[in-house]
Amino acid sequence: MKKYSKAILVSLMVLLFLFVSCSKKESVSESANAKEAKQSYKIALVVESTVDDKGWCQAMYDGLVEAKGILGDKIEFKVFEKMLAIDSGSIFRQCAAEGYNLILAHGAQYKNSIIEVAADFPKVSFAYGTADIIAGDNIFTYMPESEETGYLAGLLAGFMTKSGIVGLVGPVDGGDAARYNRGYVLGVQKANPKAKILVAHTGSFSDNVKASEIATSQIKNGADVLSGSAQQAVGALVATADSKNGLWVAQDYAQLETDAGKKRCLAASSYNYGAVIVDIVNNYLDKGVKGGICIPLNFNNNGFVFKYNDALKSSIPSEVVKEVDAALASFKAASGTLSNWRSVDYSKL
Amino acid sequence: MMTIIVNMLEMCISFSVALLLASIGEMFNQRAGVFNLGCEGIMSLGAFFGMLVVYFAEKAGYYSGWFNFLGFLLAAVVGALLGLFFGLIVVTFRAPQGIAGIGFQMFGVGLAGTLFRYYVGGVQNIKGVTATGIPGLRNIPVIGQIFFSHSVVVYLAYLTVPIAWYILFKTPWGLKVRAVGTHPRASDSMGINVNKIRYEALALGGAFAGIAGAYLSLAQAHLFNDTIISGRGFIAVALVYFGHWHPYQILGGAMLFTLAQTFQAQVQSSGIAFPYEFAVMLPYILVIVVLAFTSKNNKMSPSALGKPFNREQRV
Repeated sequence: MKKYSKAILVSLMVLLFLFVSCSKKESVSESANAKEAKQSYKIALVVESTVDDKGWCQAMYDGLVEAKGILGDKIEFKVFEKMLAIDSGSIFRQCAAEGYNLILAHGAQYKNSIIEVAADFPKVSFAYGTADIIAGDNIFTYMPESEETGYLAGLLAGFMTKSGIVGLVGPVDGGDAARYNRGYVLGVQKANPKAKILVAHTGSFSDNVKASEIATSQIKNGADVLSGSAQQAVGALVATADSKNGLWVAQDYAQLETDAGKKRCLAASSYNYGAVIVDIVNNYLDKGVKGGICIPLNFNNNGFVFKYNDALKSSIPSEVVKEVDAALASFKAASGTLSNWRSVDYSKL
Repeated sequence: MMTIIVNMLEMCISFSVALLLASIGEMFNQRAGVFNLGCEGIMSLGAFFGMLVVYFAEKAGYYSGWFNFLGFLLAAVVGALLGLFFGLIVVTFRAPQGIAGIGFQMFGVGLAGTLFRYYVGGVQNIKGVTATGIPGLRNIPVIGQIFFSHSVVVYLAYLTVPIAWYILFKTPWGLKVRAVGTHPRASDSMGINVNKIRYEALALGGAFAGIAGAYLSLAQAHLFNDTIISGRGFIAVALVYFGHWHPYQILGGAMLFTLAQTFQAQVQSSGIAFPYEFAVMLPYILVIVVLAFTSKNNKMSPSALGKPFNREQRV
């Protein structure tokens, strides 16, 4: 009996491998196509989620693809997904030993590992974010000043709400998410000082279900325009789209491409990491600078982009578009105009 | 205030379904003497396969509500097969159930994520099940919103509670399940095939876990991602202990946990000056506290829980 059981177990495993390997799509290493061409910089991207998460990790991946389009054979890159901070040290060391020129760890959770490994590989450049500190001579940091994107979303929400109640589904109250959320509050207050703002956090960057539950809760409490940041926000977007009249303002262009986004997302801002990578390569690595610099992302340095949902733009009154465009123009003209974002206190909303 | 309470109760009923179904399934496993920590992995695969049916139907352009039913069916079949697979590991090969369960959880979550990447490619929302409510009844003030505004899946899920109770306590098979989970050697001497009953219970438990996962992707979040279960499988295992292996008490536990979840969302949104980190922890703290205070009351626990059965071993 045991022999048969073992045979069944082995057969199951073989079938499983066949099932996976016979799938239509091929796993393509981004670096494979470029192998024959002469390369200048090898870049490793390390992310905790996946590069198609419609949020944080996808934004950086899309930025790398864009940078590749601009820089061509000057860079090649490889992606390491689902890399927990606790396991990341070994992959950083491996990449450094394999001759990568820039190891890009996309998340503040990688800070300690990056600092530790960077000290052992001074000739290799490292980068991580979000962080607004100088972490080492061969470490770049980047900090999205997301209060700007949040402010635009808040302006739209404040102007477009009919119930006078807007919602915000955040992941955690830290990093760029905290800046986005507070910018959103400032935007709503500017557009509609009487609006009630419901703010809640899921405590997770990736729990779509919890985000959808919180969004549902806010919608049932009267919110009719919502927003949220990080990949968990997709759950809130879908819950908003499932509601009767809910509208959404996204923090990633990828959300506009979903069915829910096409239906209910008024506009989206997005991180333009492509500009950051091009900046690092052309302005620093080319000149022998391996790190020691904190790069902000804002509209002024093209670190952010913003666009309306073409399908819904006609539903936004022209005066609202005018106000939002004016705010966008002011952000493009100068950075740091929303330095009061830290003053936002959720308990006073 | 009344509106807030009504909203919380309404959400509590629909949001507790996934935990309820997974816990009921896990109850059958544990009643038969096997605890399946791999519940999370089975839920994840159930969520994936359930979503996949609807995703392909939508992509092909011939989606109808029946594909949701097919999605649940496929999730149940996949879950049952995984339950049998787990049985092979812990019943036939007698692997330690805790370790095997953790391995199974990783296997399920990892496989679901891998297949998702190959066959779907990225997070996409689907139409899924919509909450239409019961015509006529849903318009009754207060009661209509709380009890009659949900999708048909919610009502079917709650119907499993008395059915599970009946199966467990009123049928010969239920008696055998309880017997092999309490005293497998005595059951064996009475002619009950212990391993067979455990396989059957694991298949049933797996089917429930698969449907629970599919509920999350098809009826609640209307999407799938790798982390969609996010520890709910482990909460389901805890709720079985919480509910003392009894369907009605498990129902109470699932609802209490979800109520705490909706309450914390409400607390946050109301702007009360209370750290959100603690608010998010609230449901989990509640489970720990209740488990701590009720752990001594384990009269109902299957005494052979976690112990592999070897009829040729002398005791």
